[in-house]
Amino acid sequence: MTEPLVKRPAAFSETAIDGEVVLLNLADGTFFSLTGTAAEIWPLIDGSRTRDTLLADLAESHGEEPAAIAAELDVFLAQLAGAGFVSGV
Amino acid sequence: MPDFLPLAGGAWPQLTRAAGAGMAHAMSEVAHSHPGPALLAHEARVTYGPVPRELAGQAMPPGSMLLEGEQFLLRTMTGYGLYYRKGAGVTVERDAGADPVEESLWLNGSTYAAIAAIHGYLPFHASAVVWQGRAYAFTGPSGAGKSTLAAALGRHGLPLLCDDTMVLDVADPARILCLPGHKRLKLTEHALALTGAQREEKVAPMVDKHYAKPPGGILREVVPLARLTFLEEGEGVQFAPITGGDRIARLNDDHYTGELYSMACGDGLAERFARIARIAGHVRKDRLTRPRDPAQFDEIAAMIAARIKAEPSS
Repeated sequence: MTEPLVKRPAAFSETAIDGEVVLLNLADGTFFSLTGTAAEIWPLIDGSRTRDTLLADLAESHGEEPAAIAAELDVFLAQLAGAGFVSGV
Repeated sequence: MPDFLPLAGGAWPQLTRAAGAGMAHAMSEVAHSHPGPALLAHEARVTYGPVPRELAGQAMPPGSMLLEGEQFLLRTMTGYGLYYRKGAGVTVERDAGADPVEESLWLNGSTYAAIAAIHGYLPFHASAVVWQGRAYAFTGPSGAGKSTLAAALGRHGLPLLCDDTMVLDVADPARILCLPGHKRLKLTEHALALTGAQREEKVAPMVDKHYAKPPGGILREVVPLARLTFLEEGEGVQFAPITGGDRIARLNDDHYTGELYSMACGDGLAERFARIARIAGHVRKDRLTRPRDPAQFDEIAAMIAARIKAEPSS
């Protein structure tokens, strides 16, 4: 996965409250809360990282082996892509 | 696992357009100087005559309602037409067979909410009482017990500020103000028995409620909003703070009052979201879960009153 992860700002609005990131899907009015590691990952999706470099950065910052967290990261990225919020997944 | 959680209540409709002495002094200034109550009362003045059959190029058959710019038009299925234009008051048209009793319901419901919205005030589906110069509001779907609880709290020294619709001045999100209510308290037979409120005349032949005199009286002042409590039904009595994204989701009121405000603001989804987010961060909110058991009602009301009175004044 060599394509950088990029947010699609036309697809959502966001705000932060009580340590959570809240995203509104502008296509259908549904919205989502990013908490915990999701809230940590969201700002890292800034167009400068591919899936692989994001995984490496997270593994280093959390003191984990990449293989140990890859599956969870991929599920999260798939959710974001499925909602239309991110490309490059 | 990263938490990517859909929020309950998140699906928004598609919009067709979108003390000490120092504090007492400050509150007194708010109460006596705020232009809202007098303005809205003046704007809600009524004249009788024909109302338009279309607004902004849209046909308005009976059973339709539209707020466009500084105008509002409501045509009911029961023979009423109400038309408001900013600065010109409300024109009421009533068919020969329409029930005169309904007029105040339409005026004080959708029409007043539209007037408030056009003037930049946010109508919200809640009832509120006052303690030490601050409003404690209760919200929830119709039938959640807002009016009944607000009336009952009057027996504990908390006067009624508003019933069913709370009009908010949100110009400063950090200091949200509640305008005094424009509607009379309305209670079911059951609620009258529970609260000891004084029964007055029936609201309307088709409405199973009576107007009622609140046991704690009525306060007709503009006061800051202290807390918004969401009423829910459950087995035990529990207060729980509302935090995070839920603080935003729960303000996404799908009641017609929220829709009118969005129309008046010309909100699209993004604008409405941003507006609600600004307010959400400044409003203290919690959930009250309690059983709907008449045998426990007095005890629960006393508990809620005690909790309000124990809150710090700042």
